Amino acid sequence: MQEPLIRFRHASLGYGRVPVLAGVDLGIPAQAFVGILGHNGSGKTTLLKTVLGLLPCLKGQLVCPGAPRFGYVPQKERLDPIYPLTAYDVTAMGTWRRFELLARLRGTRRALVQRCLTDCGAAGLASKAYRDLSGGQKQRVLIARALAAEPQVLALDEPLAGIDITTQKALLKLLQELKERRRLTILMVSHRVQAEKELFSHVIWCDEGRAEMGGAEEMLGRGKLGDVFRTEL
Amino acid sequence: MSQFVAMLKPDFLLHQALYGSVVMGFVCPLVGVYFLLRRLVFWGVALPQVSAAGIAFAFLLQGLGLNLLSGSEAHEKHLAIAASLLFTGASILFLAFLERRGKGVSEGRIGSLYALAWAASILFVAWNAAGETEMLGLLKGEIVAISESDFHAMLDVFGLIAAALFLFQREFLLVSYDRDMALTLGRKALVWELLLYLIVGLTVSLGVMTVGPLVVFGFLVVPPMAALPWARGMTSFSLLASLCGGVSALAGFYVSYARDLPLGPVIVFAACVFLALSWLAQAMLGLTGRSGAR
Repeated sequence: MQEPLIRFRHASLGYGRVPVLAGVDLGIPAQAFVGILGHNGSGKTTLLKTVLGLLPCLKGQLVCPGAPRFGYVPQKERLDPIYPLTAYDVTAMGTWRRFELLARLRGTRRALVQRCLTDCGAAGLASKAYRDLSGGQKQRVLIARALAAEPQVLALDEPLAGIDITTQKALLKLLQELKERRRLTILMVSHRVQAEKELFSHVIWCDEGRAEMGGAEEMLGRGKLGDVFRTEL
Repeated sequence: MSQFVAMLKPDFLLHQALYGSVVMGFVCPLVGVYFLLRRLVFWGVALPQVSAAGIAFAFLLQGLGLNLLSGSEAHEKHLAIAASLLFTGASILFLAFLERRGKGVSEGRIGSLYALAWAASILFVAWNAAGETEMLGLLKGEIVAISESDFHAMLDVFGLIAAALFLFQREFLLVSYDRDMALTLGRKALVWELLLYLIVGLTVSLGVMTVGPLVVFGFLVVPPMAALPWARGMTSFSLLASLCGGVSALAGFYVSYARDLPLGPVIVFAACVFLALSWLAQAMLGLTGRSGAR
């Protein structure tokens, strides 16, 4: 059996010394599309940030054999609109993995940035001011930025928040296409349960300080949802 | 006009003061753009005052007979720069640490620091009557009396600061815009932030010693404010802000020289004219609100 790409062993996750999730014991296989679901404040973003290395495990271990490269799509509201950046500038940040003076002067990363924008259906936005884009356009640019890091794992934090239904569907289709084309593992934090049901191969439920992982079919079944939402569905 | 042409000639009596002001005008806004983008404009008010308190403290030590250096004018100045840098650096690290913790009211902290620094400056001056005149001159900024060696040292340091800001623009932008992304890419965000803070500390300390707290604050905030609505990317933002600062310094120096007015306030006034023109042009072109300022 193939070793998981990302594995938590008896881990406690949280901020400072306060655990938000305890006894986390799960493995994420390569090329899975994993939905990280749960109520507000249940620890979804904490789990994602720990996977990305932005938060340390308070206890236990996070093991990533092969040290996969991550592409991160933060909540779009986190980025301050005061910055006078074009969509191209924002996307190019994904290529700034190291200090490369010559590459800067020669502009050798331009083709990669342009390709990522094109792959995300945002080629026409390159010269536009990022702050002036709509929610869906911003999300496409942020996905392009994450792809510019040439990742094996794409981690998205609430990518569908504040976006209309039509655009949500288009973004989900885009993610599915990117996953197939680039053989990505996708981790996606979401509030929504039903819309992405067919996309997810696996689901991690964060609830009452615990994180439980299973196949999407089982974890999104009526019984499980009823348990999590404490109501009969 | 003939006065302006005379001012630009190499044999102009105050040519070092003129060039020094213009260099400050070009370089300070390059640092100021990060104050504006990181929404730390109030740091621009408080830090020059903290730096001034550091200078006053150094002179207090001298006045109390604690001659840490040999006591020549040059050594006194070096001690003042060191104290200014120490005070400014410590304050930046303190503010940055509390900012990262994200608790409390940021503006309240900066306001309190400003009040404390101002009070400390006055008290340090009051306790050191012997050096009062000299110190007040330094606190106001003595660009007109800048010596040849200080001028060249200032050019070297500000040249290095400008070069660092150009070379590491991507790193400073990345950690300012999206620190989490920087960490995900494997960048050492803390190191780059500390380097940026060091550059801020150096600029403020040397700037206050050279032109005084008022002009430093003016250069840090006003030119970037004027440039922001017209910028399309970080490079154009930095260059526009720098150009606005440099031209304000040149215009301010000319008006001050021709009308025999105090240099610092005239330079700040000139920068504010640019800001007013920028706002006016925005209103006329219907671009109000494009800067995204909240």
